[in-house]
Amino acid sequence: MADALLLVAAALWLAAAVLSLGGVPNLGRLALAAGATAGVAAAVAGLPNGSETVTLPGRLTAEVVDFRIAPQGLWLMGFGLVPAIFATLLAPPTTGVRRGWVFGVALSLLGALGVFGLQNGAGLLIAWEAMSLGGAVMILSDDLGPAGGRTVLFMLALLECGAVALVLAVALLGLHTGGLEFDQFLSAAPSLSQPLEIGLGILLIMGFGAKLGLLPFYEWFPGAYGSGSGASGAIMSGVVMNAAYFALARALMSWLPIAPQGAFPALSVLVIAVGTISAILTILYAFQQDDWRSLLSFSSAENASIAVAALGAAMLFRVERLNDLAGLAWTVALLHLAGHALAKGALFLAADGLRAATGSYHVAYAGAGRHWFFGVGALLAAMSLAAMPPTAGFASEWFVFQTVFQGFHLPYLVGRLTLALTGAGLALTAAVAFATFAKVVGLGVLSRNRVPSASIGRPYVASMGILGVLVLALGAGMPLWLRALDGATTELFGMQIAFRMRDGPLLVPLTAKFAFISPSLLVVVMPLLSLIPIALVVAASRRPIRRTPVWYGGLSVDRRRASTTALTFSNAMRTFYSFVYRPTAATERDADAGGYFVTKLSFEHDVAPIFGPLVFQPAVAFVQGLAARLRVLQSGQLNLYLSLIGLLLVLVLGLTLF
Amino acid sequence: MALWTLFGLASGKATTAWPRAGGDSGQDGVLGMPRYNPAACREGCAECAAVCPTHAIELHEGRVAVDYGRCVVCQLCTEACPANAMTPSEDWAFGVRDRQDLLWSETGASSAAQAASDRKAFRRSLHIRHVDAGSCNGCESELQALNNPFYNLHRLGMFFTASPRFADLLLVTGPVTHAMREPLKAAYEAMAEPRWVMAVGTCAVSGGISAGNYASGTGLEGVLPVDLYLPGCPPNPAAIMEALLMFLDRAPQRVRGGRIHG
Amino acid sequence: MIGTQARTLAPDELQPAAQDLLAAGGRVRFAYAWSPDGVVEVRYIASIPDRRVFESWVVKGFRELPSLAAVFPSIGWYEREMMDVNGLRFTDHPEPYPLVLKDSGEELVNAIPAATGRPRLPKIDAVDVQQLPFGPIRADVLESAEFTFVYVGEHIIHYQPRLFFKHRGMETCFEGADPGRAVVTAERVSAVGSVAHALSYCEAVERAADCAIPARARAVRVLLAEMERIYNHLHYLGHLSHTTTLKVGEAQGKLLEEKAKQLNARLTGSRFLRSLLAPGGLRRDLDPGRWLGDALEDLREEFTTYVEKLENSESHLDRLITTGLLTQKVAFDQGATGPVARASGIDRDLRRDHPYAHYDGLPLTTPTFEDGDAYARERVRMAEVEASFVLCQRILLLLEPGPVRVECKPAPLAEGLGWTEGPRGSVYYAVHVGGDGRLARVKVKSPSFSNWRAFPFTVHDSNMMDYAINEASFGLTIAGCDR
Repeated sequence: MADALLLVAAALWLAAAVLSLGGVPNLGRLALAAGATAGVAAAVAGLPNGSETVTLPGRLTAEVVDFRIAPQGLWLMGFGLVPAIFATLLAPPTTGVRRGWVFGVALSLLGALGVFGLQNGAGLLIAWEAMSLGGAVMILSDDLGPAGGRTVLFMLALLECGAVALVLAVALLGLHTGGLEFDQFLSAAPSLSQPLEIGLGILLIMGFGAKLGLLPFYEWFPGAYGSGSGASGAIMSGVVMNAAYFALARALMSWLPIAPQGAFPALSVLVIAVGTISAILTILYAFQQDDWRSLLSFSSAENASIAVAALGAAMLFRVERLNDLAGLAWTVALLHLAGHALAKGALFLAADGLRAATGSYHVAYAGAGRHWFFGVGALLAAMSLAAMPPTAGFASEWFVFQTVFQGFHLPYLVGRLTLALTGAGLALTAAVAFATFAKVVGLGVLSRNRVPSASIGRPYVASMGILGVLVLALGAGMPLWLRALDGATTELFGMQIAFRMRDGPLLVPLTAKFAFISPSLLVVVMPLLSLIPIALVVAASRRPIRRTPVWYGGLSVDRRRASTTALTFSNAMRTFYSFVYRPTAATERDADAGGYFVTKLSFEHDVAPIFGPLVFQPAVAFVQGLAARLRVLQSGQLNLYLSLIGLLLVLVLGLTLF
Repeated sequence: MALWTLFGLASGKATTAWPRAGGDSGQDGVLGMPRYNPAACREGCAECAAVCPTHAIELHEGRVAVDYGRCVVCQLCTEACPANAMTPSEDWAFGVRDRQDLLWSETGASSAAQAASDRKAFRRSLHIRHVDAGSCNGCESELQALNNPFYNLHRLGMFFTASPRFADLLLVTGPVTHAMREPLKAAYEAMAEPRWVMAVGTCAVSGGISAGNYASGTGLEGVLPVDLYLPGCPPNPAAIMEALLMFLDRAPQRVRGGRIHG
Repeated sequence: MIGTQARTLAPDELQPAAQDLLAAGGRVRFAYAWSPDGVVEVRYIASIPDRRVFESWVVKGFRELPSLAAVFPSIGWYEREMMDVNGLRFTDHPEPYPLVLKDSGEELVNAIPAATGRPRLPKIDAVDVQQLPFGPIRADVLESAEFTFVYVGEHIIHYQPRLFFKHRGMETCFEGADPGRAVVTAERVSAVGSVAHALSYCEAVERAADCAIPARARAVRVLLAEMERIYNHLHYLGHLSHTTTLKVGEAQGKLLEEKAKQLNARLTGSRFLRSLLAPGGLRRDLDPGRWLGDALEDLREEFTTYVEKLENSESHLDRLITTGLLTQKVAFDQGATGPVARASGIDRDLRRDHPYAHYDGLPLTTPTFEDGDAYARERVRMAEVEASFVLCQRILLLLEPGPVRVECKPAPLAEGLGWTEGPRGSVYYAVHVGGDGRLARVKVKSPSFSNWRAFPFTVHDSNMMDYAINEASFGLTIAGCDR
C-alpha cells in the first residue's frame, strides 16, 4: 500500500516537472500538492513498519538499486510533506506561478524521496544533488531578494563543498566494502578502523551538515532564504531538511562501527559539540534578524543542530552499551524534527501571507492580529518553536533535556561532562529561541498599531489556522503519535523504545519515576484554568470603566514610531554578545550652515558573521591567489602553449614506455 | 561611598520639627501678603489700586476691595500707601478651600468648613502629580525644596509621583499658557478617581502677572475644578506644606475673608 | 541707544557687517524687532572683544531681511522669533519653521502656540529606530518642555527639544507699564534669576534716564547678585548629584541651597531676593549687620567641606568626566553663555568685560576650563561660588552708609540697554520708552535662550544614561527661555 502511494507521489511530481517545463505551471502546482498528499498518505499507511523493499528497474554503477523507506524515514517525510502541501497550494506571493519554481519544487521533492528511500550510494548522491539543485532553482525563480544570484551561488558553493565530502565518504566506504549498497555498508561497518571511522564521520557531518546548517555551513541560510519566498522556505526547512537529517542519522548510526566499550568516544563527542555550538550560534544570529525569512532560516538551522546533538547523544549512549537511552535520544531527535517541520512551515507561510498583504518581509507591526484564526495559528506555531506547553515543540524539547539529564548513567567523566555542557548550551538556545519567537509573533503578527491594518488573504488565514491546530494536535496527542515509531528502534538498538516513552496520557523518558509531562492533559486543564481569569474579567466588566489614552507626557504621540521595533528589541543582546556579533552602526547627517541645521539623518546597523571573514574569505582569497598564479598558463603566447604540448607529449611517451 | 555615609551620619538630623510645636518653619523674615487695615484707609485715596500690577486691589463704590488671589506679593502697595492701611506682614500661609475666602471681607466668615470624608484614606499617604503650566519657575523651586533635608515632605506621607496615573492630587503652577492647556487637561483625565486639584501660586489661582494676554490664561478657573487654592509669588515650602495638611484635615484652615485667624 | 554705539544699516549691508564682526572675533548677542509708529525696526546688539561698549545695528522700515544664521548660527532663533511674533521674513534662513507661535502675524490676539501637535524632526532614513516623546509634562517636579529622542537602545541618534510650551508673552506685559514699577514684572520672568533680570532691567532704565545711582545701592546690588549666584549654583550642584545618584551629596547640596535661601529671606524678606530693586537704586535700605558676614562664612565652610567630598567621590566624577562634551567651536557658534561657555574655554564674563553696578574695581576671578564636559561645568560653578563668597565679604567690608535711591524717570522716547552676568549667563534688557513716558517695548534676552541652542549638540550620538546628567550639568531654566 505504502509503495503504491509512494509511486503515485513520485509520478505526480515527475508530471509536475514536465508540466512546468511545458508551460502549465498552475497545473504543475496542483500536481505537486497532490503528490505531497499522496506522500503523507504513504507515510500514514507505511508506519510503523516502513515500506516494502522495491527493486527499481535498471542498474546504477552496475548495481541493482533498491527502494525502501525505513519507519523513521516515513515519519520524517510525512511531517515534512504536510507544510509542503500548503506551500504548493498557496505558491509564492510573486505575480503568477512561476515555471521555474514548480520545477525546482518538483526536483527537490523527488530528490528528497530519493534520499529517504534509495539504498544505493550513487543513487543517494544523485538524489542529494537533485535536492540542492531544486532548492537553488526555487530560490532563483522567486527572485524576492536584493542579490538573489550571489546568495544562491554562495549556497551552492557551500553545498558543493559538502557534496565533495559526501562523494569522498561514499567512495571510501565503497572501496572498503567493494560495492555501494547500503546493506553492504551496514555489514562491513564493524570492520572499519577507528581513524577511518573518525575521518568518515567528519566527512559525513560536513556533507550532510552543509544542508542542515551545522557550523560553519549555516552562513548561506540568511542570504539564500532571504532571496526566496516563504513557500520555498517551508519546503526547504521541511522535507529537505528532514531528508538531510535522515541521511545523516542513517550514515552515522549504520555505516560506522560502534566504538569498543571504554574507548574514548571521539566521534560522538564531536557530533554533540558541533550540534550544540551550531545551535547556540544560529539562534543568536536568528534573534538579530529583522527579515522573517532569515530569522526563520537560522531557527531551522538551530533546530536541526539540536537534533544532531541528540543524535550525538544517541551515539554516545550506544558506545557505552546503554541501548535504551540511545534509542530514547535517537527517537527524540525524530520528534523534534517532526514538530519543527510543521511549525516552521506554518511560520514561513505566515511570512508569505504578510508579504502579500503588506509588501514586505520585514518583521514590523502589521496589525494582522485582527485575523484571529491567522494569529492563533501563528501563535501556536511560534509557541512550538519556543518550546511552550502544550505544543509539540515543548514535548520534544523537554524530551531532549530529559535525555541529556540522564547522562549520569554514563560511566566515564568524558561523557557526563559532555552531556552536562550540552544541557547548558541547549538551555541557552531555548531561552534565546523563546525571545526570538516572542519577537516574531509580538512584532510581526500581533498588534493593532498599524493603520490601515494588514488584510491577510483567506487562503493564508486558513492554512495558518490548520497548521497551528496540527501543531497543537501533535503535542497533545503525542502518546498516540509515538505508536507510529514503535518499530523504528528495533533495527538499530534491538529493542522497542517508543512504547516506553509513554505511560497513558503521560510522556516519560523511559520511566515515570525520573520525570513526566502531559501535553494531553494540559490541553484540557489549561482552558479550564483560564475560566477563572475569564470569570474575573466578566465580573469586573460590570463596573463602569473610564478609559483614557496611554500617558506619554500630555501630548498625543505617533504610537508606531514610539513602539518597539525589531532592532530595538534585539539591541541589548547585540551589545551583550558583541564578541560574537561584532555589531556595526553608522549615522550619517545631511546638514547645512556649518553642520548645525540637520535636514536628513540616515542610520545603518548590522551584525557581522563569524565564519565568513574567518574561514570563507581566506579560502576564497587563497583560491583567487592560486588562480592568479595559474593565469600564467593563459598568457596567450603561442610558444608557451607549444612548449606545454611538447612537455605533455614527453610525459605521455614516458608513461607508455615505462 | 564610605565618606558620604559617615558624613551623613555625623551631620545628624537636618529636618525641622515644624509643623509640630517648637519647630522652625524656616521662614524667618519672609514677607507675605500685605495686611489690609480699612480703618486706617484715607477717604478718596486709591494709591494702592493705582500701583497694583495685577489689579488685586480695586475700587468698588468708593471702597477698596482686595483679592488676595491676585496678589503677587510685590509690596508696591505697602510702599505707596500713605496711611499704613496696607502694611507688610508675615502672612504667607494663605491656603484656602474656597476661592471666596481669598477676598477680603469684614465679616471674615467662610462657607462651612467641609471636612470631606473621601479624603480620610489619604490622610497619611498622598501622592501628588505636579504640572507646570507656564510658571516662572519660582513655584517649581519651592516645590523642589520640599524634598530637601530641611522640609522633607516624605515624613508627612506626601510624595511626588512620576505619572498622573499614580496621583491623587494634581498640583498646578503657572497661569495655564495656551500651549499647556491640552497637556494639563490630559493629565487630569489620566488620573484615576478620587482625584483633586490644587492651584499653587498666584498664577494658578488667577493668572498672575501675565494674566489674560495672547499667550497666558487666567489660572485654573474654568479649566479644571479646583479643591485648594494657595496664592503667593511664590508660596514658600512651609506655606505649601501647611496648605496640604489643611487639605487633608490635619491642620485647620486659618484664612477666612482674606485674613489669617488664629 | 544708551549703553551702545548705534549704527544704522541697510538690509544689504547686514551680511558684510556680520562678516566683519566675525573676522574681528565679535558676536551678535541678540536681535529683536518692534514697530514704533507702525514702522518696523530691527535691532541687532553685538559685542567686540576688548571693547566695553556694545554696538547696536538698526535696520528701519524693511519687513524682509537677509538671514545672518549662516554667519552666526546663534542668531537663528532670534530671527525665527521675529518671524513668528513680528511677522518678518528672513530670506535663506536654514530653519524657517515656527519656534514660538504659528499663524499669528502682527495681530497677536489669536496667536496659536507653535508647541502643539507633533514636533518637526529632520527626515530620518532609518527603518527600525524608536522615537521617544518625553514631555511636556515630565517625571518629577520639573518645568514643562518636550524632548524627542530618536534612539536605538542606549544610543541617541538624534535629540530635539521643543520649548515654548511656557511662553507667557512676558515682553508684552511690559508694554504700557510705568518704568519705575515694571521691575516687578522683570522679577517674574524667571524667579531663580530675579535679581539678574531685575538688575538688568533697572540698569536699562537708568541708562535710558541717564541717572547715576548712589554707591551704597550699587554695592548692595552686587551683594544681592552674588547671593543669588550662590544659591543657584548650590542648587545645581545638588541637582547634579541627584542625577549621578549620589544621595547624600544631593541632600547636602539641597540643604546648603536651603540655607542660602533662608539667608536671603532674613536679609531681604524674600527667599528670591525680590521686591528690593528699582530703577534709581533700591526700594528700601538693608541692614546687613555682622550676622550676615558670619552666616556667609559658616555657609562657606560647609560649602568647602562639601566640595572636597564631591571631588573625592569617584563614582560621581566618573559620571561627569567626558559626559556631554561641548566643544569651544560649537559653544562659540551657538552663542553659549555663562558657566557653560566658560567650561568650554570661552573666557567671557560681563562683570569683567562690561562692568556694571559696583563690579569695576572688585577682585573678580573668571574661572575658565577647556574640557567642556560636565565635570568642567561643575568645577566652574564651584569656583564661582567660592569667588562669590569672597565678593560678598568684600562688599560687606566696603559698605558705607548713604542714600539708596535717586529719582529716575526716563524721558519720552529714550532707550537703554542693561546687562548682567546672572547665575546662568548673560541677561540683556533693551528698554524703549514711548512718547507717553511709559514703556513701549522691552526685549528680554535670557541666558537659557542661548544655552538651549547649544545643548542638543552635546546629546547627539551620546547615550541615554548620560542624558539626565548632561542636562543637569547645563543648568538651564525653561521659563527664562520661553518668557
